[in-house]
Amino acid sequence: MHRYVIRRLLLAFPVLALSSLIVFGLMRVMPGDALIALMGESGNVGEKELAKLRKELGLDKPYHEQYLIWLWQMVSLSPGDSIFTNEPIPVSLRKAIPVTLELAALALIIGLVIAVPIGVLSATHQDKPADYVGRVVAVSGLSIPDFWLGTLVITFAAIWVHWIPPIGYVSFWESPSRNLQQFLLPAAVLGFRLSAATMRMTRSTVLETLREDYVRTAWAKGLAGRLVVYKHALKNALIPVVTIIGGQLGVLLAGTVVVEQIFALPGMGRLTVEAILYRDYPVVQTNVMLVAATLVTLNLLVDLTYAWLDPRIRYR
Amino acid sequence: MGASRPRNVTRRDVTRRDFIKRAGWAGAGMTALVAGAGRGRSAASVSYPDWIPASAKPPKRGGVLTRGAPWDPPVIDPRLTQSIGTFQFVGLTSSRLIRYAFPEEATGTNDLSLKGDLAESWQSSSDLRTWTFKLRQGVKWHNIPPLNGRELVAADVKYCFEQYAKEGLQSFTFREIEGMETPDKYTLRVHLVTPNVLFPQNVAESVTVIFSREILEEDGDLKKRLVGTGPYILKEHTRKVRVVLVRNPDYYDKSRPYVDEIVILSTPDAATRLAAFRTGQSDILPLNSLSEVEVARKTNPNAIVQEYKNVLAPFGVALAQDKPPFNDIRVRRAISMAIDRQKQVDTIYEGHGIPGWGVPYMYYQDKAPTLKELGPWWQYRPAEAKKLMTEAGHGNGFETTLFYYEYWPQMTSQVQLVQQDLKKNLNINIKIQKLDYTTYYGRYVENKWDGMSWGFQSGHAVGLDERTYMYMHSKSTKNFFRVNDPVIDELTLKLRQTPDRNDQRTITKKIVDRELDQVLRMWMPYDGGFFLYQPHLRNMSALALRRTDGYGSPTTARLWLDK
Repeated sequence: MHRYVIRRLLLAFPVLALSSLIVFGLMRVMPGDALIALMGESGNVGEKELAKLRKELGLDKPYHEQYLIWLWQMVSLSPGDSIFTNEPIPVSLRKAIPVTLELAALALIIGLVIAVPIGVLSATHQDKPADYVGRVVAVSGLSIPDFWLGTLVITFAAIWVHWIPPIGYVSFWESPSRNLQQFLLPAAVLGFRLSAATMRMTRSTVLETLREDYVRTAWAKGLAGRLVVYKHALKNALIPVVTIIGGQLGVLLAGTVVVEQIFALPGMGRLTVEAILYRDYPVVQTNVMLVAATLVTLNLLVDLTYAWLDPRIRYR
Repeated sequence: MGASRPRNVTRRDVTRRDFIKRAGWAGAGMTALVAGAGRGRSAASVSYPDWIPASAKPPKRGGVLTRGAPWDPPVIDPRLTQSIGTFQFVGLTSSRLIRYAFPEEATGTNDLSLKGDLAESWQSSSDLRTWTFKLRQGVKWHNIPPLNGRELVAADVKYCFEQYAKEGLQSFTFREIEGMETPDKYTLRVHLVTPNVLFPQNVAESVTVIFSREILEEDGDLKKRLVGTGPYILKEHTRKVRVVLVRNPDYYDKSRPYVDEIVILSTPDAATRLAAFRTGQSDILPLNSLSEVEVARKTNPNAIVQEYKNVLAPFGVALAQDKPPFNDIRVRRAISMAIDRQKQVDTIYEGHGIPGWGVPYMYYQDKAPTLKELGPWWQYRPAEAKKLMTEAGHGNGFETTLFYYEYWPQMTSQVQLVQQDLKKNLNINIKIQKLDYTTYYGRYVENKWDGMSWGFQSGHAVGLDERTYMYMHSKSTKNFFRVNDPVIDELTLKLRQTPDRNDQRTITKKIVDRELDQVLRMWMPYDGGFFLYQPHLRNMSALALRRTDGYGSPTTARLWLDK
């Protein structure tokens, strides 16, 4: 087990190195830079002044030098300051990460709360109206984009119930009720999307498991239906579900970008989008590396969960 | 949930075919419902006032004004940015030497009269090179460290102008200053390099705010703290969340401001801003089109609506006119005549747009020009355009590119209509490049592009000097449209030396006529849009070149809440 974990962690290095090269390269390929975004509109800055500012920020250095400097900053955990706002990146991250984490965690919970029971219901009521409803919900979740669903939710909430989440983020510790009001709808939007694939997977794996011999034995023993489904079938059906949840975490993080924009939440998604638009290289690069590292870690955790779900699984 | 054993039988309660059929009927029904709901009263038949006069009732103190804004301040240092995100509130925390009339002082939307802000009076020497400003006495900086409410004196303004000239975005404006002196605590004398009768307008622009010496000297920049002498004090600035301004109790105008707190909520999504207005979380809502206004009024019928009529077009087709084929006046005129501007006004702007011109019309005439008044080269005459192109040796058309940044969806439609018109009428094949903000600005402002661009002139400027000399003189760094015309150079310089208002109007008209005749900047139709205000807002009115949001936010300093 330990050797497996260490091997997986070592494998993460080339993945992260490749991610760093891709994000660094892509940012440099894009035309324009943060100074242009900040000062361009006024048209008052001459070429000489821009060159001077670029030099001060190290943007005039050769790319390989800029890359190495940034790499060292990442390794030494001091990613520097935003070019656009001058705010130290750790400060920006300290503000943005809790927002995205809370949103993602709530979305995950809502997603699972929707997906697993409906998936099981669909499987146990195969080809009945409940199954069709469940499948329609799942297909809708897969096909409706976050931005559209988010816009619909906020628009119709305003029209029908004359209420939308209070705008202007407050942390959970500042005001738990206001904070939860702010996160309820965005988490539901994200969670709905997340639930779709999980729901379909739950349905198909539960269906499959319910046809296994040991389940048939359980039925034959006269066990209660609830016990057969939840104790015998569901736990064994969950391994592929956990795998798909692991895969969906990337989708979840990507979804936060749009949802944070619509519901005005100051999370990692908005921070990254703004940084990309304004060519704020250090912020984009740090955020992408952080997300890459998070996904690598989460995937590892998902893999390790298999052993808990199925004790027969051994890591070599 | 009752768990049951799965069935392996093939009988189904609802067949797939049944389900699809039922879903189809349900879908058709929903479509009919939505289509029916969309048939309201015709948007084009409704009109709204473009001016909301001041309330006759005595103003009330207190309350909180909240507004959703798409912009976020990048930095709060006014030397380093002219971002709308920053100046949507800096104009409320900080004063200028001179300002334009507030809504309740103005005689109408086009009133551009100058009023004293920090300066009580100002006058020039006879040679128009020396300007003397007499400052208001007893003006105090906000009562927060390190200023702690000390009095503002002439040396503060002198220092501030020197810093603007030294570095940053406003250096072009302030490098006009040759020297300054402060004969006493309340007098500032400014010596200009060249005569400029329009200098007071330049220091009345919303971006020329007076910042504090102490903060710049202590911090080395103005990125962290913003302390001014304006009606509001910056209480909170949390990026991507909110800006909170509280009433300055020591403001020099003792009875003002009326509203205790102004909150600007960072709301990047337009649907969310609309929802916030609908639910009362926001008091002001700018909208682009009349149909959007009608949609919003279905839920908020009591909202006050103001139509914002523009006095200029901020966008147009910029041509690389320093190079062939656009350096040929016949090509520029032909392109202009091949574009159907009225079609853009009628379709994209639902009949509410202006055909497009570059200098605010009130500087040279009383009424907004009609399309016809813009002259022959601005009329839609495809046959004449084709003839001109043939004369210029481009009878078979040519290929070019046009890059733009989509400020709002209508802009994309405009770009496509221009592409369509030029292909149909002149066989010009335009390859459209839609760029993101930074790429667009990078390419446009660095002036290293060929072909065409959807060009702009800055949004903040009110003054005539900014709109003429700064944007059209060949030596100006703001001359984005690459105007290089000796007549324009001469006229814009002459305008700066003309004190008489009527003579100024005559010269400005000559500048405009020359610009239109030579098609130096090819303006496109534009619509200012609409403002929706909650019914309890008083003394709230957008003015020409000063909206109630963005750069025009200082207009909100005098409003009050009637509730």
